[in-house]
Amino acid sequence: MLDETVSRSPPSTARSTSGAYRLLQGRFRLEVRQQLPVWQRVGITAGAILFGLVICGLILVTAGVSASNLVEEFIIQILFDPQNLRAVLFQAAPLILVGLGASLAFRARFWNLGIEGQMIWGGIAAAATSIYHIGPDRLRLGLMTAAAILAAMLWVAIPASLKLTYRVNEIISTLLLNYIASYFLFHLLYGPWKDPGDSFPHSSQFATVERLPDIGPHLNIALPLAISLVALAWWLLHVSRAGLHLKFIHANASMAQVLGVPIKTATFMAVLLSGALSGLSGLVIVSGMEGRLTLGFYEGYGFSGILIAFLARNDPISATIVAFLVAMLFIAGQSLQIFYQIPFSMVELIQAIIVMCVAASEFFVRHRLHWHS
Amino acid sequence: MLSFLVHWIASIPSLATPYALAALGLIISELSGVLSLGAEGLMLVGALGGVGAYLVLGGYPLLALIISMLAASTVSMLFAGLVVLLRVNQVIAGLALVFFCQGLTNLIGTIAGWTNHTIAGLAAVRIWPMSTDHRPSGVAFAQDPIVLLTVPIFIFVWLVLKRSSVGLRLRSVGENPEAADAAGLSIVFYRVVAVVCGSALVGLAGGYISVVDAKIWVAGITGGRGWIAVALVIFARWRPWRALWGALLFGGIEALIPQIAAVGIRLPQYFMLMTPYLATFAVMIWTGVTKYSSSEEPAALGQPYVREERR
Repeated sequence: MLDETVSRSPPSTARSTSGAYRLLQGRFRLEVRQQLPVWQRVGITAGAILFGLVICGLILVTAGVSASNLVEEFIIQILFDPQNLRAVLFQAAPLILVGLGASLAFRARFWNLGIEGQMIWGGIAAAATSIYHIGPDRLRLGLMTAAAILAAMLWVAIPASLKLTYRVNEIISTLLLNYIASYFLFHLLYGPWKDPGDSFPHSSQFATVERLPDIGPHLNIALPLAISLVALAWWLLHVSRAGLHLKFIHANASMAQVLGVPIKTATFMAVLLSGALSGLSGLVIVSGMEGRLTLGFYEGYGFSGILIAFLARNDPISATIVAFLVAMLFIAGQSLQIFYQIPFSMVELIQAIIVMCVAASEFFVRHRLHWHS
Repeated sequence: MLSFLVHWIASIPSLATPYALAALGLIISELSGVLSLGAEGLMLVGALGGVGAYLVLGGYPLLALIISMLAASTVSMLFAGLVVLLRVNQVIAGLALVFFCQGLTNLIGTIAGWTNHTIAGLAAVRIWPMSTDHRPSGVAFAQDPIVLLTVPIFIFVWLVLKRSSVGLRLRSVGENPEAADAAGLSIVFYRVVAVVCGSALVGLAGGYISVVDAKIWVAGITGGRGWIAVALVIFARWRPWRALWGALLFGGIEALIPQIAAVGIRLPQYFMLMTPYLATFAVMIWTGVTKYSSSEEPAALGQPYVREERR
């Protein structure tokens, strides 16, 4: 086929089809950078984030939020209001967990886009343990946690094993499983699990023993739990043998195969852990924040997890920092929704713009442009 | 039984058309080597653009559908710029595009007040002489113009891709960009044009859902149909006619849901709504299990082409 292409399209005629691009290309020369100082790399990324935030600001101003209110809502209200700061800390825990989950899967080159579905199953399993009063009161919360983790791991094991045995594309399969999980949640909440008290589509409220214990005013055990899991993940990725295997697989899978790295086992375990963290995140929201199984408790966390892992380059400690920033965005998004009637999906839009800007800036990290005068 | 069959068959084309058009658009852009995961977002842009144009310009459905195509093409230029010019990872860029479009359409729909306005849409065309009121088969032959246009669109795209030198060059860019570049083809030009043209069809699919089928805009109206179209392309192994059959299969499964309810069989509602996704999932597993060699998957699919890094 290619021979035919060569004979049928002489270079001179094909070149003329893209005049504008050629004109532009004549002005600069592109070079692949061999290395880049860290400060320049950080500078380029920071510039990209700033550029993205300016675009988001312009969109919000167009949408009717005045510029002074924007500064007030996003910076002063969040950083200097103790109540909002507590809300950010509260919000950060599930985001850290999904960020860690996404990082682990991405390290094994598995696109886990099914975080929301795994959170749903985590929530459903926890709520089932509560609704059917499984186990004594003392052990209830532990059983709910175990159930949430187990259910989410089983759910992610489906696309993981299909990918490893039949090479079924996990990007699509995990996303489809999200829709299936969410319809199952709808079925439960509009049907058998509907709250008999007020017949709203949410489960009846959990008992006190079934909720995550508080460790301070408006702060429960979720955040310390998430932070300790960050430490564990750091150890797993940077110290343990499994982390070394994952580094091999991420860098060059065929080389890893030759060197005898157990690719399938390592990938499968990493993906299972990713699902476990997503399930735990579902539990943290259901049992720690909402106090019951609600419709849409998982919304927005899937893409946030991907964004956190992407910006943090799959590193647990950077992921924690990014998760706090995303938590601020969530809180700001909630107040935009309440005070300016801007849909909460604005948070998705802002995240998408920032991902695009940072991803685009990688081009300037990897390439150098030489301009001709 | 006959009435059940006729009504079922009559409702298939309008459900299959968005899948078919979106899958065809994706095939065009993927044959040039650009993995297009953003279909769900571009369909939303097309859906909102169509309803917005219909409401603002005063009720011209065909004009609204053209605006759908233009809107999706315009937004896809952003994606094309990211993945073709700046060589961004195509999975990340595609996902970001979906969430960008979800957020943007939701915001614009809310601010402009286009949400929950029912519109008249596009009237069905009766195919004389098959469609007359006194025949039971009449409903099956009263379809809207876009359904009737879908087959000519498929023939046209298939001819361009398979029987023209432009199509040949496009496929060579997706198959082996190094060789195509050496032969003097502009990789950037072919890939950008393929993404923009393909996205016009994806936008038409979205516009069809809102303007012709649902006759309303609500946030997230496409409900995952863009992802099903992406899966459909894999199932069709990048061959346009297989994609059309696949779209009819998925449309047929989706069309069963209201028909079963109409007959009076009571099945849990949300399990019924799951079926398109379950069917897609099953089809993906089937595609994975049965491997045969007639796939036309472009060899360079998903790989950014960097001449400076050419080996």
